[in-house]
Amino acid sequence: MAMETTIERIEGPVPVTVVSLDGELDASNFEALIDAVRGLYDGGARRLLLDLSALRFMASSGLVALHSIVRIMHGEPPLDPEAGWSALHTPVGQTQTEVQLCGPLPAVERVLARTGLDRMFVVHPDRVSALAAI
Amino acid sequence: MPDEKRTMPFDLEALIAPFRGLPGVDIAIEAPAGVILVSTSSDAPTADAVSQAIEAGPLASGRIRVWGARADPGLTGAFLTALVGALARDGSADPVTAPRHDASARRIDDELAHGRRLQRSFVSLVAPDVPGYEVASHYEAAREVGGDFFDLFRLRRRGRPLSVVIADVTGKGIAAALLMAFSRPLLHAAIDHTKGPAAALERTNRILVEERRSSLFITALCARLDLPSGRLAVANAGHEPPLVARADGSPIECMLGAGPLIGAFPTLEIPEISTDLAPGDLVLFYTDGVTDARDPTGERFEEQRLFAAVESARGGSAQDVVDAVAGAVDRFQGSTEPADDVTIVAIRRVLAPVDARPKG
Repeated sequence: MAMETTIERIEGPVPVTVVSLDGELDASNFEALIDAVRGLYDGGARRLLLDLSALRFMASSGLVALHSIVRIMHGEPPLDPEAGWSALHTPVGQTQTEVQLCGPLPAVERVLARTGLDRMFVVHPDRVSALAAI
Repeated sequence: MPDEKRTMPFDLEALIAPFRGLPGVDIAIEAPAGVILVSTSSDAPTADAVSQAIEAGPLASGRIRVWGARADPGLTGAFLTALVGALARDGSADPVTAPRHDASARRIDDELAHGRRLQRSFVSLVAPDVPGYEVASHYEAAREVGGDFFDLFRLRRRGRPLSVVIADVTGKGIAAALLMAFSRPLLHAAIDHTKGPAAALERTNRILVEERRSSLFITALCARLDLPSGRLAVANAGHEPPLVARADGSPIECMLGAGPLIGAFPTLEIPEISTDLAPGDLVLFYTDGVTDARDPTGERFEEQRLFAAVESARGGSAQDVVDAVAGAVDRFQGSTEPADDVTIVAIRRVLAPVDARPKG
């Protein structure tokens, strides 16, 4: 039950940080992913592409990670379990562009659709088309 | 495992200091052995505090136990990863995973057991009297305190419809259990005071998002069953879709149509979907502990096995179907420890016609 996270920085007119997830995103590692993205944001990353093409499974805690990642990339205050945190103030139906997804496998796509979190993201079929679009 | 004393390339006490006294973390150092015993399944990266501590300086020590690591996987996982990483670089020790069996571990086990008992008291183990229908349920808490709950009750309004709630708080541990304990009566009250299931979920979401500000999400499904007609109205906030097995033998139906889970957005805008239960028809509600269950090779139970289990008991009572699904999950997991709560609720309209209308 492990996940490998690879981080690449793609230079261009708009630098994009690609975070590739390989394995299973679940309760054992979702906080680690949030921490990693916070580090990237603190290091100056402003555009994130999550490459999900090797992510075989996403538990509900993965959804918490995705939601937190969007918050972080929006420059909103970091998650503080003591203080609590408010909902993302993006109206339902409106997608943000700081964090985009590519290549979700059917199992992950299903979870995103079922929980409604797909409406938070632009989802690209693969990395090449995602980078071209961004 | 080498017996000779090793020098670690960092200050162990300094490394551990930031983690001491944190909720759910109990660290004991027993020298000397060169063995690290950890109880966590986390694979988190290095946290800043940890890497700074690692750079702090040398100290000789040996055996390290980290208990309660599962209580906060992010934090203790970061610690353990840093520690194991530092030792691996030094080549002085191999990480070993060991069962938790000393006094402090027992204390934590006792706390968890207490939490599970408390949690169990939140799920509806006594089915309400529902004339004309069979109600059966199965609830099994994971070893860690999980976040599943369900609730079945008759509404105090015309026709006394049956209300069904099944929900899963994301994450695990005490935080999930506390949010669950808070959400269950909240949902119950919202259902009592709103027109229908979708409005009840909307109200619950608003309270959790705006007034209580939680750091967790809840997938929740509310259903209302009108007993005389068999009309079942469902509103689904990111939860697993209910299954319907008809008495006429047609393929098992999946009640699709949902909105986002509770806690992530200011509004949900959930569509209300409905179906009619004819005599002999059965509806099954479940949590992802069923479909996400793993066998010893890591394979997931998935929906097709769930469908097969329901199919195998089709025509039987609600209890038969619940037993078939719970049994299939159990056999599938084998010796694997369940990672998540498993909750199954089945409601079947009985074949014999029963007048369920309240008197007066």
